[in-house]
Amino acid sequence: MNAKTTYEEGELISLLKQKDDQAFSYLYDNYGGALYGVVKQIVSDGEISNDVLQEVFVSIWRKIDSYDPSKGRLFTWMLNIARNAAIDKTRSKNYQQSLKQLPITDAELSHPIIRPGYDDFGLKKVIHKLKDEQRMLIDLSYYQGFTHDQIAKALNIPLGTVKTRLRSALTQLRIMLT
Amino acid sequence: MNVKEYILSGVVESYVLGLATEAEQQEFEALCKQYPEIAQAKLDFELSLEAQLMRDPIALPGVIKERVFQSLDTSASNISYQEIEDSEVPVRRMNVWKWVAAASILLLAGAGYLALTYNDKYQRLQQANTELKNQLDQSNARITELDKTAQTLQNPDLKTATLQGTANAPGSFANVYWDTATKDVWLLINNMPAPVSEKQYQLWALLNGKPIDLGVIEPNIWQEKLLVKMKNVQGAEAFAITLEPQGGSTSPTMEKMYVMGKL
Repeated sequence: MNAKTTYEEGELISLLKQKDDQAFSYLYDNYGGALYGVVKQIVSDGEISNDVLQEVFVSIWRKIDSYDPSKGRLFTWMLNIARNAAIDKTRSKNYQQSLKQLPITDAELSHPIIRPGYDDFGLKKVIHKLKDEQRMLIDLSYYQGFTHDQIAKALNIPLGTVKTRLRSALTQLRIMLT
Repeated sequence: MNVKEYILSGVVESYVLGLATEAEQQEFEALCKQYPEIAQAKLDFELSLEAQLMRDPIALPGVIKERVFQSLDTSASNISYQEIEDSEVPVRRMNVWKWVAAASILLLAGAGYLALTYNDKYQRLQQANTELKNQLDQSNARITELDKTAQTLQNPDLKTATLQGTANAPGSFANVYWDTATKDVWLLINNMPAPVSEKQYQLWALLNGKPIDLGVIEPNIWQEKLLVKMKNVQGAEAFAITLEPQGGSTSPTMEKMYVMGKL
């Protein structure tokens, strides 16, 4: 199915909006691995990650018409779909039953444990180089999907402080990425 | 407005990573249109994020792509059928034998298409059948388990203790069934919080004011089994469950009592 090996982003988007099979196949081959990595870092379980990735690509296919390039790149849009789908899955009843959930205040959060195959690639690899507090805030908000409000209550610090600290963590992250 | 300061405030990253609230998103999008520097900073972060994530992609399990395409229900196969039919048009100018030959090829192609379609359908049905059979086996196992539970509960020698949540877990609720003839103890947990890691629940009988260990409760076992068999006890006035370190304790940690009730 891979007649063409590369597409320019604008061309790829317009082919996807026309529901072109070949362009979609390329999209899967080219971006699937990166999105799968993000899903796995949120969901942990291999079998469930597979289900989520399938849902992600079906969503991309169905929602491509609502994608607005003026708001961000195609990859950013897909990344957010993948992250949301994975977090939604971790909130589902089946998932909660299949894994023993740790409470938010567990001591593990303040002591980074780098699990090989999960935390040693992609964004987490960079995040693990941040200070413990910054890493924890990004983990709670980005990977576990807690709102600033929930984090403030769980850690017993003011909402404004959570926002400021999270933003400075994100700034630090950007510096490390560039 | 100080654009430079705004760009360095972390708001760009927050927006791109999907961590901004709806109001923050709208504000950011409006400012992007107004200030090209902000839009550029957003694009720069998107590109470095993308580069980092694309650097070491995870190997994809092969089956997912197939499953994605199957669930999209694409009409690709119908298109190729259409093309075969269209090839009839130039045949008119040929002589009879050529026409017969062309017709046979057409038939063959049609037959091939049908064979492929049916084979595909057959395989999908077979797969669905296996899945159903597995589900049935699981359901049967569950029914057998529930039958056993029902038999145990119908025993006329059984006495029940209703254990209510303490201040530690007010919504918690469990039942203990004690067989006055065999002295067997069965536990039914209706609702209790999942224990934190490194901790386990332990059941105690209380007789003459003294606690008797009735065993630790395997984490989450009550999600697999309705009734959990615990250690026998010769007599009891009440039962209680406490949270103890992994493996249980020799005497109960009273301040970690979660439920308790009289027989």
